[in-house]
Amino acid sequence: MDNKELWQTVLTQIQLGISKANFATWLQNTEIASKEDEVVVVSVPNAFSKEWLSNKYNKLILKILHDLDDKIKEVEYIIKPQGAKVFPVKISNGEKSNIEQLDFEEFKIDKETNLNPRYTFDNFVIGSFNELAHAAAWAVSENPGLTYNPLFIYGGVGLGKTHLLQAVGNKITGGSKKKKIKYISSEKFITGIVNAIRNHNIDVFKNNLSQIDVLIVDDVQFLAGKNKTQEEFFHAFNTLYEKNKQIILSSDRPPNAIPELEERLRSRFEGGMIADISFPDYETRLVILKNKLQEKHLGLPEDVLDYVAANVKKNIRELEGALNRLLIYSKINNSIPSLDTVKKLLKSYIFSPFDVANYKKIIEAVAKFYNLEEKDLFETTRKKEIVRPRQIAMFLLRKELKYSFPAIARKFGGKDHTTVIYAYRKINQEFEENNKLTEEIGLIKQKIYSG
Amino acid sequence: MKIEVSKNNLKTGLSIVEKIIGKNITLPILDNVLISTENNFLLLTATDLETAIKYWVLAKISKEGKVVVPARFLSSFISLLPEEKILIEEKKQNLSIECKNYKTQLQGFNPEDFPLIPEIKNQESLVVDNKRFCMGLGQIVDIASLSQARPEISGVYLLFSKDSLKIVATDSFRLAEKTIAIENKDKKDYSFILPQKSAKEIINALGDKEGVLKICFATNQTLFELPMEGVKHPQIQVFSRLIEGEYPNYQEIIPSKFKTNITVKKDDFLNHIKTAALFSGKINEIKFIINPAKKSLEILAKNPDIGESTSTLLAKIDGEPMEVSFNHKFLTDGILNIKSAEIMLSLSGEGGPCILKPVGDISYLYVVMPIKSV
Repeated sequence: MDNKELWQTVLTQIQLGISKANFATWLQNTEIASKEDEVVVVSVPNAFSKEWLSNKYNKLILKILHDLDDKIKEVEYIIKPQGAKVFPVKISNGEKSNIEQLDFEEFKIDKETNLNPRYTFDNFVIGSFNELAHAAAWAVSENPGLTYNPLFIYGGVGLGKTHLLQAVGNKITGGSKKKKIKYISSEKFITGIVNAIRNHNIDVFKNNLSQIDVLIVDDVQFLAGKNKTQEEFFHAFNTLYEKNKQIILSSDRPPNAIPELEERLRSRFEGGMIADISFPDYETRLVILKNKLQEKHLGLPEDVLDYVAANVKKNIRELEGALNRLLIYSKINNSIPSLDTVKKLLKSYIFSPFDVANYKKIIEAVAKFYNLEEKDLFETTRKKEIVRPRQIAMFLLRKELKYSFPAIARKFGGKDHTTVIYAYRKINQEFEENNKLTEEIGLIKQKIYSG
Repeated sequence: MKIEVSKNNLKTGLSIVEKIIGKNITLPILDNVLISTENNFLLLTATDLETAIKYWVLAKISKEGKVVVPARFLSSFISLLPEEKILIEEKKQNLSIECKNYKTQLQGFNPEDFPLIPEIKNQESLVVDNKRFCMGLGQIVDIASLSQARPEISGVYLLFSKDSLKIVATDSFRLAEKTIAIENKDKKDYSFILPQKSAKEIINALGDKEGVLKICFATNQTLFELPMEGVKHPQIQVFSRLIEGEYPNYQEIIPSKFKTNITVKKDDFLNHIKTAALFSGKINEIKFIINPAKKSLEILAKNPDIGESTSTLLAKIDGEPMEVSFNHKFLTDGILNIKSAEIMLSLSGEGGPCILKPVGDISYLYVVMPIKSV
């Protein structure tokens, strides 16, 4: 007789001796939690039941149990609160109001894993620009810790890195095996370490990290220059890696382009699988728009979608923004916007002043990328670490803004225009030959154009 | 059982313990109060199997014993008696009451059927000033979620840290937080989620009393205890079960940067909102148009069936112009719990949380989410 049957028998016999009300009040939701030799542990839903059973019914229960199984000599009671009853969440279809009371989004995030259930593989649109990253992420979620470790995903803002990272986490959470997953942004990681150092409990912090099965760290480029954090991260990384625990990282650039990243970390980041997400092509943008519309159960004419997909190309977040603007317009005016209205409505997305490269932005982006102060670029010096970025800045000014060589020379503190010509030619040539440089310049351009 | 007790003391005790009693169909014994003797005290006990209240009354005990009688009935009867000594005596489960010219017999129940109140022994505890605690709890308790879909936010969260107690409640649309200074000698953090009903019970039973409240911590349950004046013995004990689960990381939703800050007179602001509320539609929407240049806050409401209303309020405004809509009920709930003359309203855009704070008082905070057209 197993525990369940045993308790069932006890309940049946007790029922005969007491009133229905008493039975319902005191014996509902009770069960045998464990049975070891002479002791039976009965779990009860609350403290009142515990008091009642152990003081009033104990003799009766023990007698029945003893009659059924003469080894049993003792009954103990423990409180096991009823787990949160899961009520089906009502989704009101049909009359969906176009006005909505907003709630605290943060509450939907799982406190344990920090994952937002909104991001799944199902609503991730795959195109040529992200299929490698998607395939790698999928493989990792199928077999965490063994396929690609670490998985490093990089790409510009608003292209879906976070979505992909969280989708892996959510898929593993939903799987059959219980895995401890932690999604953490670099910023939180840094604050965590700083707090741990301040409160003198870095051991606790380390210990917590080392028990994770899947560690997902978003935006690792922010670790640049934070040496203590990098050191701790390095140790955490090693501990997990040795135990075959999955590590997933994301950044806005490849590991070798993250400045001030310690060599040992860089090489570790490169040790697994690196996949990039680039800009979505026209077709994918169109699919994304259509998916979003389907999610919202709304429709827009084909030519409008076509216009949006063809013109809003900066990133997916922008694309969503543009779409939302159109939807709000059509809700308010109760009409579907025509192509002309759409053009007017989306002016700011398409001809945003921030989209256009300018002198200031180029200098800023180059300086930031190479972790220099802007003024360093204008210093009269031949230090290698400055000369190179300066040449790239000159190259970009010429290439992107069509500045004349003398104009560029003037900007850089009255250098000779031939210096600029030399810089331009040099970088232009290398740009074609040197893959690393091509990638660097690509990333800088991304920075310039994505504001 | 044979006891002599003053009418007023008994009446006060009964009126406190009877509040906890609801309609209980499955277990009628819960409609009763247990009257028992304990040394020199008469002890009144009532419970709804979630919360339990014990109340001690000084009395002259001639014979020990206990009796279980309908609480509401007894309470209404006692309150009608003259202000004299009452002699109560148990006779075969029934209660006989004698007071001056009155002689009464009340049918009772078997005391053995009355639930046993769980005891919390030798647990860690903390003390707080009772009045301040109950007042703070009162500012928060109504915000807790009424739905049971997420049990952890259907209660009031209490977080005791080194030198402060934070009382928090939310229904995921708005959140209120009250901070009370406490002395926590053993420097340990404690936290639990108290059911909303128990929190209300505590305010009812203890709200107007002076003294220090002792809060005991145990797994799954807690005990609030207020001592008697002048005697080293508890006067009231409120026992409650706790809600299982982990409270959400609520600090994350409180923004620290805002686009626009507005300072307004509380009463004016409330009046304008109430006016607009009359014109608001089904989802209680009212709209704010904030113009920092003109230092004006316009409050709009529109209902196709009734009409529309616009009112302008002059205020101190720093930051960007903005248009944002709210549920007026959510706003008034927050404003009514603010005691200062002026309110600081901090907004973070049409889709971001808004904070209401009393000016000159950092202990209270109310966060509310706007209504947005999608």
